[in-house]
Amino acid sequence: MSTVDWKNYTPVLLPDIKDLHKIDVYIKNGGYKALKSVLTDKKSWDGPKAVIEEVKSANIRGRGGAGFNAGLKWSFMPPADGGPRYLACNGDESEPGTFKDRKIFEYNPHVFIEGALIAAYAMEITTIYVYIRGEYKTYIDMVENAIADAYNKGYIGKNIFGSDFSVDFYVHSGAGAYICGEETSMLESLEGKRGYPRVKPPFPAQKGLWGRPTTINNVETLSHVTGVINNGAEWFSGIGAKTHPGPVLYGISGHVNNPGVYELPSGIPVLDLIEIAGGMRNGKKLKAVIPGGSSTPILRADQLDGITMDSDSLRTVGSMLGTAGMVVMDEDTDIVDVLWRISHFYHHESCGQCTPCREGTGWLEKILLKIKNGDGEVRDLDLLLDVTTQMEGRTICALADAAAWPVRFTINRFRDEFEARCKKKSHAVA
Amino acid sequence: MPEIFIDGHRYEFEGDHKVLQFIQDLGKEVPFFCYHPSMTAPANCRQCMVKAGQYMKDRETGEYEVDENGERVIRWFPKLQTSCNLMAADGMVILTQETDELVQRAQKDNLELILINHPLDCPICDQAGECPLQIQTYKYGPEGSRFEVKKVHKPKRIQLGPRVVLDAERCINCTRCTRFTQEISKTDQLTITSRGDKNYPTTAPGREFDDPYSLNTVDICPVGALTSADFRFKARVWEMNQTPSIDITNGKGTNIDLWTRDNLILRVTPRFNAEVNDHWMPDAGREAYKIFNENRISRPQQKLDGEQILSSWNNAIATLSEEIAATDNSKIVVIASPHASVEENYALSKYTNLLGLNQPVFTPHIEEGTGDDFLLSDDVAPNANGCRLLGFTELDKASIKKEIKKAELVVILHDNLIDREVIAADDLKEKFVVVFATNNSDTSKAADLVIPITTAAEHAASYVNVDGRIQRTYRAKETKYTERRLDLEMSEGRLDRYGTNFDNWVTEDNKIDCLPVWKFINRISEHSGLECNFNDGREIMDEIASTLDSFTGVSYAAMDEQAGIQLSIKKETSTSK
Amino acid sequence: MAYEFTKEDLREIEKIKAKYPEVMPATLPTLWVAQRRFGHVEPEVQRLVAETLGLPEAHVHGVANFYTQYYKEKKGKHVLDVCTCLSCQLCGGYEILHHLEETLGIKAGDTTEDGTFTLNQVECLGACGYAPMLQVTNDKYVNHLTKEKADELVDKLKNGEEPDYEQMKMPQHKNI
Ligand SMILES: Cc1cc2nc3c(=O)[nH]c(=O)nc-3n(C[C@H](O)[C@H](O)[C@H](O)COP(=O)(O)O)c2cc1C
Ligand code: SF4
Ligand code: SF4
Ligand code: SF4
Ligand code: FES
Ligand code: FES
Repeated sequence: MSTVDWKNYTPVLLPDIKDLHKIDVYIKNGGYKALKSVLTDKKSWDGPKAVIEEVKSANIRGRGGAGFNAGLKWSFMPPADGGPRYLACNGDESEPGTFKDRKIFEYNPHVFIEGALIAAYAMEITTIYVYIRGEYKTYIDMVENAIADAYNKGYIGKNIFGSDFSVDFYVHSGAGAYICGEETSMLESLEGKRGYPRVKPPFPAQKGLWGRPTTINNVETLSHVTGVINNGAEWFSGIGAKTHPGPVLYGISGHVNNPGVYELPSGIPVLDLIEIAGGMRNGKKLKAVIPGGSSTPILRADQLDGITMDSDSLRTVGSMLGTAGMVVMDEDTDIVDVLWRISHFYHHESCGQCTPCREGTGWLEKILLKIKNGDGEVRDLDLLLDVTTQMEGRTICALADAAAWPVRFTINRFRDEFEARCKKKSHAVA
Repeated sequence: MPEIFIDGHRYEFEGDHKVLQFIQDLGKEVPFFCYHPSMTAPANCRQCMVKAGQYMKDRETGEYEVDENGERVIRWFPKLQTSCNLMAADGMVILTQETDELVQRAQKDNLELILINHPLDCPICDQAGECPLQIQTYKYGPEGSRFEVKKVHKPKRIQLGPRVVLDAERCINCTRCTRFTQEISKTDQLTITSRGDKNYPTTAPGREFDDPYSLNTVDICPVGALTSADFRFKARVWEMNQTPSIDITNGKGTNIDLWTRDNLILRVTPRFNAEVNDHWMPDAGREAYKIFNENRISRPQQKLDGEQILSSWNNAIATLSEEIAATDNSKIVVIASPHASVEENYALSKYTNLLGLNQPVFTPHIEEGTGDDFLLSDDVAPNANGCRLLGFTELDKASIKKEIKKAELVVILHDNLIDREVIAADDLKEKFVVVFATNNSDTSKAADLVIPITTAAEHAASYVNVDGRIQRTYRAKETKYTERRLDLEMSEGRLDRYGTNFDNWVTEDNKIDCLPVWKFINRISEHSGLECNFNDGREIMDEIASTLDSFTGVSYAAMDEQAGIQLSIKKETSTSK
Repeated sequence: MAYEFTKEDLREIEKIKAKYPEVMPATLPTLWVAQRRFGHVEPEVQRLVAETLGLPEAHVHGVANFYTQYYKEKKGKHVLDVCTCLSCQLCGGYEILHHLEETLGIKAGDTTEDGTFTLNQVECLGACGYAPMLQVTNDKYVNHLTKEKADELVDKLKNGEEPDYEQMKMPQHKNI
């Protein structure tokens, strides 16, 4: 059982400060100190490499879903050769159950901007793009304003804080495509194309935007960088779960009383998190939880004892932290309907580039619709499982996996409910 | 040298190789759809899966690591890999469907998925018989389908452009067609529209797919989604036979295949030649099949009282011999042709030499604006350089006109000088005009004697393209005097071999009464007591190669082996007017 | 109808182009400029975008058709995008959708005869904690929907009023 002390935790990304989105308020509360420090305090920061080392040892695990150590990722950038280098910030946030990055855009855009600028310095980036899903029009405007303010203050642009570091920072709006959250699809979309994920290798660090070295990080990941620079790597790695440390923006939705985004240390017990979110709605019993966005394997209530919100703990019961967007389902939830709806999502969002995903996502949805409508047969469940194995690990990007896992795990973990729905038909026929 | 192990066999390699291409080059196979050697590899069909790993080497010694049984240690990639974009590396281990069950399974699974929304209408699909999807399903696919829900429906019979028709339901989204317009023809006329399983290729709304190279997309489409508006439903592939040839409608000398059924050429497709046209050809050249079938001159014709009437070969030979004998040598002009092969031109010139006539003259056929930076040149004749290398006198239009003016007997070899406005019909008035021609034209109509000759589809002969490459054709179509079954060099399709006169497609109607120029020369020489005895193009070429320096080393065998031979030409002459 | 960008649009497009090392990246933002100007990106507008940027028409067409937020055909004056995805489904997204179908007398995907409303069923809009919710014409989110709140919204829009921006409070915070 984890001993994460979350009751005394004070938020750092989304602190309770009025008008923090205004640059002056942000500065008054210590904003842009971290950036100034890495750029001008040569004693503390011996060049970009030192920043990368600090971030690496903080072990900020990517908050976009894959959980990769941000500093380590940065270190994959090839040495600067005088040509352009890019940082692409991922604010596409489209995985069902995920709605956290928008909170940063809304309440504290500068913590993200500052973090991205520090990352840019560390990797000798020349231009930063933040890709925000088009539906977030309101937040796009807010981020654009914040960036304009930072330009005005001289925090973005030429020779920031009198140093020889210069960088540009632009917002690129999406236009309705979940797949553009996949990092290489995002690059294609930034390049003005259909959001087809790229085949890897080459990896973006070698050939990213316009064939140049590029790093992609989630918006929350980058926002944490500011705190790491201000407070040190040890501070960050001392928060929450050891192997997956730091504050996490948990997005909690579904059948709880107070859904919303909560900033708390990683590694909070799942059941505590439900309590934090006000407990189950209408006093209903918990049936299941999807811990980190729709693609992470569903967990039955009986699997949750002692399980905490970090990758290691969730792995023991066969799930993942993903985006930490937790969807809570009560006892009245129709799991068949839920799985069909998830499959509908992935079918709708498959870019259609590669065979197993283009064809498989539709097939999964159609079989599930048949089952949902009471026309399924038990053998359809095995067919579904077969189709998932035909998709997994055989595609260009991970959307196919994201579509397959929920089907596989939901059927495995709620097989009786699916069989019951299938048998209805058999009885009706008899 | 770096080594790679494929299905347990060791191969050495140098340089960069994609594993799929490497395997193909070994003459082995891995099924695939989206990969095309001349375009980028999007790896989107996911059919070419292999199991890949790496023999581990000890960092220090550089020796392979071995386990306790003395077997080399392999580190397998965690997932199956698409071989089309996997680069061969030293010590790489590859297992294909030949040796690995997981690979077999993956390929089968993928085919099942490709087929779930596929209409499976092979019986009415043009692609059937040459369909990679059909072939690979047969070889590697599942026995049946478990897909019992509704298929996705998409637009069918869409006229994408004047020459290309789309059936989007058959499309497997390999993006070969869109990549072709982006990377090869560079017109950017096609895109994939929509998303997911609704994807299909299209033009911009209201725009036509009129890319001058559009029909290449039909060739590379791995299914029957893109079909040729012209060829659609005309023939099944297995009814035709396929013969290598050269595009005679342009100076580029694009390598092609002629597809014949019952002695009609039904379609023209490009044939790979890395030095000339890669895998491609312009749409314009595909129209050429009509030249071989339609509007042909069959039997010699002679003018009688201003009317051309059918004559006989004996009559034609006698008439021409008499005309030559009756005309002062200085009043005879022989016009050779950039539209005729090297052999035809040579045979004619040998005969006229024996007669003691002047060297033939010729004028190139340039149409300004035809050329592009790709596979079309302004020179629209296939053999202007052949004429030059044979040492014929090159004249511009005005000089040709002057030569004709001076002459009383004009012999024109296969060149529609009137149609292409080098001369006017009036320029030939009051002269005896002999035209060797394949098709009726204003020029042939102006002739007093028309000698019907074989087209490039009916003889084996060589052409020297604008870049100086000599390449040859094969006999694809019988004439009245040839017989496919007796000619070892002629290809035979299923119908040719097994068809009977009771089959729908077997008739005698489509054989033209014409002769190769050299056969005619043989007969007329014999008539005049001269020594010309040409058996076939191959022998003529041997004779040319042994007598003319510019053709040293050229032979049919050498051309066949090297897909043509580069000759040295003076570059500036190839573009002169 | 011939579509044309205003001088102001063209200035904006120039500014957009300056953000990237090439022209093609301007495709998405320019389609946005066009959609804001004309209310849709029908084929003729796609053509205008292609011409303005000097990019192939097929490219612009392919891009416009990849992204769901671009209106490839004319829509109602107000487009109601009701989320029925996972969290919204759990919290009654479909009930809201069906309620609106009844109120407006149209099916999801259709436009009312008077051209005022288009009703769509859409995928997760990133407001899962405030489910069920909808988005109005690619702009404001309306959260925590009830049938009553949906009706109010319809009335408001009919009266020519715009929905307010709803700031969703951080549940842990007291002040903001
Ligand atoms: C289908 C798919 C969708 C994704 N969507 C998002 C997203 O919306 N936001 C995000 O930050 N990462 C998303 N990712 C993960 C990104 O590909 C990438 O791993 C991440 O942005 C890297 O940032 P991080 O290392 O900071 O997490 C997605 C991945 C896949 C396969
Ligand atoms: S897995 Fe799906 S989303 Fe990813 S590239 Fe393939 S088709 Fe597109
Ligand atoms: S494309 Fe191939 S598999 Fe499909 S119907 Fe045509 S011949 Fe059959
Ligand atoms: S039409 Fe043919 S070539 Fe084009 S994407 Fe479809 S299958 Fe590939
Ligand atoms: S040929 Fe390799 S993925 Fe298509
Ligand atoms: S599920 Fe509706 S906003 Fe996320």
